[in-house]
Amino acid sequence: MSFTGPLSIITLVPLLSGLILLVLPNVLPSDISMRMKASVRNVAIGLSSAIFLLTTLIFVGTIGQIDWLSIGMGDYVLETEDPVWLIESIGVTWHLGTDALSFPMIWLTTLLIPISMLVQWDAEDGHSFHSLLLIMEGALIGVFVSLDLFVFYIFWELTLVPMFFLIMIWGGEDRKYASMKFFIYTFTASVLMLVGILVMYFNTVADPNYAGTLTGHHFNLVLMTEQSRVDGLINSEGLRHFVWLLLLIGFATKMPSVPVHTWLPDAHVQAPTAGSMLLAGVMLKMGAYGFLRIAVAMFPESTLTFVPLLVFLGMASLVYGAVVCLGQTNLKRMVAYSSVSHMGLIFLGIATMQPLGFAGALFMMFAHGIISPLLFAVAGSFKHHYHTLEIGSMRGIAHHSPFLAGHMMLGWMGSLGLPLLAGFVAEVAIMIAFWMTFGWWVLLPALTLIFTALYYLTSMQKMIFESDDPHIGKLPDTMHDEEPRDVTWHENAGMFVLGVLTILFGILPFIFWDMMSVWSTEFIQTYLVHAMNMLEASP
Amino acid sequence: MNEQKNQEWNLLVPLAPAIALVPVLVVMGVEPIDLGFAAIAAPLAMFPVVLLIGQIWNGNEKWVSRFKEGGILALSALSVSLIAGLWMVLDFLGAGEKKVHGDPLTWLDFDVLRYDGTQWNIDAGFTNISFGIWLDPISAMLLFVATFLCFLICWFAIGYMTTDDINSNRNHRFFAEFILFSMGMFGMVLADSFLWLFIFWEIMGLCSYLLIGFYYWKESAAAAAKKAFMTTRVGDVFLMVGLLMLYDIYGSLDFAVVFDNPSTGVGEAPVKASELQPALLMLFIGCVGKSAQFPLHVWLPDAMEGPTPVSALIHAATMVNAGLYLVARMVPFVDVDYYGVMGMEDLGIIIAWVGGITAFMAASIAFVQNDIKKVLAYSTMSQLAYIFLGLGSALYLMSTGHRYEGLFVLGGALFHLFNHAMAKGMLFMASGSVIHEMHHAHHELHHHDGHGQHDDHDEHFDAQDMRNMGGLASKMPVTSIAMMLGSMSIIGIPLIGGFWSKEAIIAETWLGALEYEPLLLGPAILAVLTAGMTGFYMSRMWMMTFAGEPKHNAASHVHEETLWIKTPLITLSIVTATTGALLAFFHIGEFLSSKDYSMGLDDLDVTKALQIAFLPEKRTLMAVGYVTIALSTFVGPIIAMKVHGGSLKEGQEANVAVSWLVSLSAAFKTIDVSGMANSSLSDSLRKRLHFDDLYDWGISKTIAPMAKFSAWFDANVIDGIVKLVERTSIQGSHWIRTYTTGSTRDYILMAAVGALSIFILIMGVTI
Repeated sequence: MSFTGPLSIITLVPLLSGLILLVLPNVLPSDISMRMKASVRNVAIGLSSAIFLLTTLIFVGTIGQIDWLSIGMGDYVLETEDPVWLIESIGVTWHLGTDALSFPMIWLTTLLIPISMLVQWDAEDGHSFHSLLLIMEGALIGVFVSLDLFVFYIFWELTLVPMFFLIMIWGGEDRKYASMKFFIYTFTASVLMLVGILVMYFNTVADPNYAGTLTGHHFNLVLMTEQSRVDGLINSEGLRHFVWLLLLIGFATKMPSVPVHTWLPDAHVQAPTAGSMLLAGVMLKMGAYGFLRIAVAMFPESTLTFVPLLVFLGMASLVYGAVVCLGQTNLKRMVAYSSVSHMGLIFLGIATMQPLGFAGALFMMFAHGIISPLLFAVAGSFKHHYHTLEIGSMRGIAHHSPFLAGHMMLGWMGSLGLPLLAGFVAEVAIMIAFWMTFGWWVLLPALTLIFTALYYLTSMQKMIFESDDPHIGKLPDTMHDEEPRDVTWHENAGMFVLGVLTILFGILPFIFWDMMSVWSTEFIQTYLVHAMNMLEASP
Repeated sequence: MNEQKNQEWNLLVPLAPAIALVPVLVVMGVEPIDLGFAAIAAPLAMFPVVLLIGQIWNGNEKWVSRFKEGGILALSALSVSLIAGLWMVLDFLGAGEKKVHGDPLTWLDFDVLRYDGTQWNIDAGFTNISFGIWLDPISAMLLFVATFLCFLICWFAIGYMTTDDINSNRNHRFFAEFILFSMGMFGMVLADSFLWLFIFWEIMGLCSYLLIGFYYWKESAAAAAKKAFMTTRVGDVFLMVGLLMLYDIYGSLDFAVVFDNPSTGVGEAPVKASELQPALLMLFIGCVGKSAQFPLHVWLPDAMEGPTPVSALIHAATMVNAGLYLVARMVPFVDVDYYGVMGMEDLGIIIAWVGGITAFMAASIAFVQNDIKKVLAYSTMSQLAYIFLGLGSALYLMSTGHRYEGLFVLGGALFHLFNHAMAKGMLFMASGSVIHEMHHAHHELHHHDGHGQHDDHDEHFDAQDMRNMGGLASKMPVTSIAMMLGSMSIIGIPLIGGFWSKEAIIAETWLGALEYEPLLLGPAILAVLTAGMTGFYMSRMWMMTFAGEPKHNAASHVHEETLWIKTPLITLSIVTATTGALLAFFHIGEFLSSKDYSMGLDDLDVTKALQIAFLPEKRTLMAVGYVTIALSTFVGPIIAMKVHGGSLKEGQEANVAVSWLVSLSAAFKTIDVSGMANSSLSDSLRKRLHFDDLYDWGISKTIAPMAKFSAWFDANVIDGIVKLVERTSIQGSHWIRTYTTGSTRDYILMAAVGALSIFILIMGVTI
C-alpha cells in the first residue's frame, strides 16, 4: 500500500494528469495540440468523475470494507503501512490515511471538482482551466490525506498555486490585486504555521521507523499525536502556548476568522465561479481541519486555556460577519462574508468541548461545503447571464430565469439554516452544545440567525422578485438589450446536484453524521477529557 | 356551460388509486399509527413531481386541462393524507387509548459530556434525536383539521387559481408549495418531539413565505413575504433557544421522555421552575410569532397578499394554529396534580395577557378595514388570541391545582381552535369566491366596453374592497349562506359553532380572575369587550358585502361560482352549523380535555359543560356569560346593521336562508358614519396603531446604519490595516533600493558596517 493504495491514487492521479494535460498541449506540435485542447475538458471531467466514483466506493465499503462507525481519532483507515521515504535524512515519509474528520472532506473535494468543471464547462482556455482544477483536486486531497506534516505543508501551499492562477487568469477586473493579496496573505500566515510545525518537529523523540537519519526527528503526525497524548510533545508550557498560537494564526487565516479575513471577499469577488466554489467549498475547511487535527489534538491544554479566545474569534466572525453581510451591495461579496460568518460557528462548536459541538462543527464543514458552492454557482450565473453582481440592479428575474431563481431560493434557504436542509443539522447541534457549555451566551449566535435571514431575504427580494411588470421585470444596465436567459444546461446540472445533496443531507444527515459523532466522542475522551479534568482539579 | 363543468368531474379519476392506497396499506399489515408516515410522505413525494413536471410541461394543453397544472396531482396526494388521517383518528377513537406512539427512527446519534463534580464523563442520560409518530387527543383533533382542510382548500384552489389569466402557467408552483406546506403541517401535528415539531414548523414558515410571495412581481407581495418570514423568524430564534434549554433540562426533546415525568429532568434531578419557566417562555415567544400575537402580529395582515386559498389554509386554518398547539403541549409541565412542576403560575398569566391584548387590539383595528381579507385577517388574529387566553387560563388554573376548571377551559380553547379553523377556512374561501367573481365581473365589463387588452384594466379597481361590493346576496346564494354561517360561528351566536367554545373560555377566565388571581381580570374584561366588537365587525363585513345596493358596476354583474368553489363551501357550512351538535353527541370538549388525563374527571360531561357556560353557581359568572351573549349577539350586530345595513336593489331577491338577515339589516339602517371615519382614532386604527411604522423606524435607525458602518469599517479599518502593511512594505523596499547605488565605495562601507555590527553582536552575546 505505498504509492498504489486508493488514497495515493486519488491524490496523485489528478495531480499528475493535471500537470500533463496542462503542459502537453503547449509542447506538442500545433495540430495535435489543437485536437488535444478540445478534448481536455472531457478527459478532465471523466477522470474526476472516476475519482469521485472511487471515493464513493470507498465510502460504501466496496473498496477496503471499512466500518466507518468504529473510527475514533487516532485510528486511520487505508493507512500506508510501511514507511516510504521521501527525504530520509530529515524523516519525511509518504504516509497517508483517513478518518471521519478527513474523509467527508475528501468525498466533498472529489464531488466538487467535476461539478465546478461542469458549471464552468465553457471556460475560455478551458484546456488549462480544467487541468488546473485537476491539479487543485490533487493538492486539496493531499492536504486531507497526508499524515506527515512535511508533506501536509507542501500540499497546503501547493493548493495556493492553481488557485492563484485561476484568479489571476480567469478572474474579474481587479484580478491581479486579488490574486496577489490572496497568495501573499495566506502564504504569510502559513509560514508562521510552518514555524510552529518546525518547533514541534524538533521536539519529537527518535522513532526507529520514522526518524530522519540526520536529525533524529520525524514529521509523522500519528507518532507526534501519540507522543503528545502520552508524554506531552513540548515540555515548556509557554512554548506550547506559543506554538498553539502560531498554528492558530495559520489556520484562522485560512478559515478565515475575523480579523484576518479580508483576503476572502476580494479573492471571491474576483475569482471565476469554479474557483470560488472550491475556495468556499473546500479550501476554507482546510483551516478547520488543520486546527482540529494538529492544534487541538496535540495541545489540548493550550486549547482549553484559549477557549475564551476561540469563543471570541468565533463570535466575532459569526456576528460581525453577518452584520457586514447586511451592508454589502455586491452579491458575491455578501456570500463571501456569509462564509466568514458560518465559519465562526465552527470555532464555536469546537470551543464547546462537547462531542456534540465537535460533531456539529464537523458537519458544518461538510454542509457548508455543499451549500456555499451552490451559492457561488448561483452568483456566478448572475455574473454570466446578467453581467453584474450588484444587488438591486435587477428585479423580477424569476420570470426570465425560473431555474436560476429556484436554485437561488434553495441555496439561500439552505444557508440561512432552514430545517431539513444540510446546514440546519450543524447549526442546531452546535447551538445545543453551546447552551450546555456557555448558557445564555447562546443568544448571540441565535440572534445572528435573524440577521442571516435578513440579508439573504433582502438580496433575494431585490434581485429575483419585485417588479412592476410581471413579464419584463427590470433588467440591469449591463445587459445592453441582450435577451435575458435562464441558466445553461451544464450550470443547471451542477447546481441541481448540489441542491439535491443539500436536501439529502438535510433529511438523512446520519450518512456522515454518525461517523463524525463517533469520532468526536473518541477524540474528546482520548485527548481532551484528561486535560479538562486536570483543569477542574487545579482551581 | 353546465355540461362543461359536469365533465370536469372526470378529472377526479386520478384520485381513485390515491384513495385506495391507505386501505391497501392497512390490508398489507401496516399499523394504523404508521399511516402517519404515509400522510407525511405522500405530499412530500408529490412536491418535486408537481414542481418539475410543471416546469417542463409549462403551458402544455393537457397539463392545463387534464391536470389543472398539477392541482389534480396535489389533490390526489392530499387525499392519501386525508384518508390516512381519518383512518388514524378513527382507529384512535375506537381503541380508547390515551396516546399512541409509533416506533421512533433514530435521526441524530451523539454523546454529551457532563461534569459530575469530580470529573468529566460521557452522560448516558441524554437520549438521541429521533423521529416518530405521536397521537393523542390534541394531535388527533389537529390532524383531522389539517388533513380535512388541506384537502378541501386544495379542491377550492383548483377552481380559484386555474381560472385566472394572471396565474396561467404558474400554478404548478402554487400547488407544489401548497402540498409542501401540507406536509409541514401534517408533520408538525404528528411529530413526537419538540425538535421535529420545530423542524416542520419552519418548513411551514418557508411555504408561507413562498406562497405569500406567489405574485412575486408585486412589490407589496414580495415585501409582505419577507416581513412574514422575518417576523416569525424572530420568534423562531427564541423558540430554538427554548428548545436548547428544554433539552438541557430533560436530556431529550421527545414527548415520550419529557412528558413521562416533567418534574424530573436528566439523571432524575428535580426540575426547578426557575429553569423551566424561562424555557417555556422562550417557546411561547415562538408561538407569539407564528400565531401573529402582539407584539409580533404585524405580518399577518400583510400576508393577505398571497392568493386567497393560501390565506384560507395557512393564515387562518392551519399554520397559525401551530403556536396554539405548542402552548397546549405545555400543559403537562404545569399540571401540578400530575407530575407538573410547582411554581409556574406566571406563565399562564403572561399568555393570558398577550391573548387578551391581542384580541382587543385586533378587533379594534378590524373596525376600520375595508379590504374583505384584511377584516378576516384581523378577525383571525383576534380569535387566535381568544384561544391563547383560554390556554393561558388553563395553564394558570392547572399550575395552581385547579385541575378541573383548567381542563375544562383547555378543552374549550382547543374546541375553539377547531371551530375557528373550520369557520375561518370557510370564510376565507367565501371571500375568495367573492373576490374571484368580482374580479371576473370587472374584467368582463371591460371587455364588453371595448376597453381592450386584458392587462389594461382600471388600476384603481380593487376586487377586495368591500366599498365596491354590496347586494351580492342575490347573486351568490351559496357564498352568502356560507359567509353568514361562518360569521355567526365567529361571533358566537348561540348554538352555532364558536359559541360553545368562546363561552367556555370567557367563563373560565372570569372564574380564574374572580376566585384566584386578580391579574387575570384584565384579559377577562378585554375578552368580553372583544366579543361585542367581534359581533360588530363580522356583521359589518357581511352587510357591506351582501346587503344593500351594489356600490360598483362590477358588483351587479357577478355570476354564481363553479362547482370547484361551491363544494368546499357547502361541506364546511354543514360542519360549522353542526359543531354544536357535535359537542353534544361526540363529547368533543370532554374528549379534548380529559382523555389524556382521565384521573378524577369521569364526571365531566356535556351537561356539565353547558351548566358551566350558562348556569354557573356564581351569580357574577352568570352575569358575565349573559353580558357576553348580549354584546356579541345583539349589540354588535345591531350597530353594524344600523351603519351598514340596507335592502337589496329593487327586483333582486336573496334566497330564503339569508333574506331575513338582509331585511333585518334594512330595518335597522339609520346612521351615516362618514364623520366618524375621519376621527384621529379611526385614522390611527387604519394605520394599525402605528406598530408597523414603529418597527420600520426602529430598523432604519438601528440595523441599517449598523450594517452600513460595519461594511465601511471592514473595508477601511480592518482591510485598511492590511493595505497599510502592504504600502509600508512597498515603500520600505523602495527606500532600501535607493542604497543600490552601484558605487563600489558605498558597498565597501556597508560591508564594513555590517561586519562591525556582527562582531559587536557576537561579542555582546558571548560576554
